[in-house]
Amino acid sequence: MNLLIPLMVIVPIICALFLNLLHKKDRTIKAIAIILALTLPLLPILASYGIHYFGGYAPLAQNPTLSTGLPSLITGTVLNTFHPAITYAFQDAQKLFIFILGLVAFLAILVSLFETKRPSGVYGFMMFMGVASVIALLLTDDIFNFYVFFEIMALATVGIVLVSGVKGNYETALKYMILGSITSPLLLLGIALLLGVTGNVNITDIIASLKIGVVDPKNPVLLMACGLIVFGWLYGSGLPPFHTIKSAIYSKALPHGAALLQAFSVFTLIALGIIILRIFSYLPFSQMIILGVSLLAMILGITMALLQTDLKRMIGFLAVGELGYIGIGLGLGTAYGITAGLFQAINEVVITAFLFIGFGVIYYQTGESDIRKLGGMMVKTPLVALLVLLAGFAMAGVPPLNAFQSKLMLIQASIQAGLPELGVIMILLSIVTFMTFMKAFHAVYMRPKPADLEIKNEKIPRATILSLIVFLVVCLIFGLFPQLATGFLQAISSNLAGGMP
Amino acid sequence: MIIDTQLASLLTAGALIVIGIFAAVFLDNLIKKVIGLAFIGDGANLFLIAMGYKPGGIVYIYLPGMARDFFAQNAAYPLPFALVLTSIVIGASTMAVMLGIIMVLYKKRGSLKASEILGE
Repeated sequence: MNLLIPLMVIVPIICALFLNLLHKKDRTIKAIAIILALTLPLLPILASYGIHYFGGYAPLAQNPTLSTGLPSLITGTVLNTFHPAITYAFQDAQKLFIFILGLVAFLAILVSLFETKRPSGVYGFMMFMGVASVIALLLTDDIFNFYVFFEIMALATVGIVLVSGVKGNYETALKYMILGSITSPLLLLGIALLLGVTGNVNITDIIASLKIGVVDPKNPVLLMACGLIVFGWLYGSGLPPFHTIKSAIYSKALPHGAALLQAFSVFTLIALGIIILRIFSYLPFSQMIILGVSLLAMILGITMALLQTDLKRMIGFLAVGELGYIGIGLGLGTAYGITAGLFQAINEVVITAFLFIGFGVIYYQTGESDIRKLGGMMVKTPLVALLVLLAGFAMAGVPPLNAFQSKLMLIQASIQAGLPELGVIMILLSIVTFMTFMKAFHAVYMRPKPADLEIKNEKIPRATILSLIVFLVVCLIFGLFPQLATGFLQAISSNLAGGMP
Repeated sequence: MIIDTQLASLLTAGALIVIGIFAAVFLDNLIKKVIGLAFIGDGANLFLIAMGYKPGGIVYIYLPGMARDFFAQNAAYPLPFALVLTSIVIGASTMAVMLGIIMVLYKKRGSLKASEILGE
């Protein structure tokens, strides 16, 4: 048993509680938060692959000491192979996902500590708590445990928005909570239906029940459960019809908060997307639904981004559009398509955080995010302008940056799957993404500076520049050596494409 | 006519969810909306409890002197009850945060109308 697996969740929770206790002790918070945030990307690197059982034990079939003497009513049936515990599985895909999440979280926390005059313990609490819950979403093999952390993540998201102090944040947070309070019980209902039919909440056991015929896969209740879980998936990841509220949430958070929030959405999308594929991939239309919703997200997200005048809202919509690419990869259902989709997810998390923090410098310096009121920032911050330009190139899929590789893989996968139309749409939307980005870039950096634009903070914190450079390095590494990421994703993709791993 | 307990629970859960969705979508007062949202959560919890119901079953506590086979065959399924406890705690925390936000908004705007505060 590898103790580092549960520690990946426990450490950020303890960090969160600790920071909350230290609220108003600015220097202590700064020092401790940096040290603790460093553990986030380090723990998945140090942990070895394995399974951890929370509050229970391994299946009786693997546990002779416990199974000896038990009646055949238990050991002679399918119960012998079930997992009587909350199971956390840590494999190569999880290693990469949690490392990237940890890296983005570390850099976002670092930037927040140096861009805020008085670091808030409560803000740190929310960030760490959100990270802990998303790590749990990626690790857990228990669908009810997934629901619990899904809710904690939603509360942490609301907290990050509330602490931001951006105008209209309370209203947007309340809207998000109202929608969440409708969709989350429906997700719970889907889980309850699965429990009612299979008698289980462990995902591996649910799949085993379907596979060996303990439960009839054609049971219509399973169909309803699938529908309700997909609805929760749409809300959690910000796919249509929840794309508007999701981008509003990003725009009401501080840029470093938004960088973290979009990572939460992407990892929720892939964590729940993988669960849906694992349990329901035998339903012929499940992949079609994923493809349809993803296509809609791409088109709506990217075209709506084109219309925005608020920088954060624009990046928020672009992020929603990019979610569509990930969904397309998952929906294609082939091993290559799923690998491409998951690789795109990794790239999107890095690039969108890069953009949020890069454009966030403008917000830090001017307190303004409306592109109509900005201009001339190239003179003030030429290095940041160059880094932001490269981030925009990365998002549009310009070589040799990372999204070029993943988008190319996605186009190849759609052609291989007999859907070349999807490839054409993806290329067209990449062009629109580039146009949208260049429109904002021109307005902020290349247009003459408006006379009434006031620069409140001349000096950009070194931590912000360092974070942007780290993001660029990651983009270049994955762009030049994509196998460094795809190598971690092939096992899970082959299993998912084979159906019911 | 005596209705089956499990069926009655499921129907009540369904009614709670439908009433809750109606209130959350159509009522303009934020507090009433929140009450509706609480209904949806309660409906889902009741549904989950109903999943663990066993007609004529016994409480899932293994008492001294109880025959093992009797317990195995008659004890209700404990998992839904354990899950629902967690779900209630989550629902209560969500509700507390939502009401807290409404209090702040009421102090700022002096109104509880969703159409005024949250827009169209």
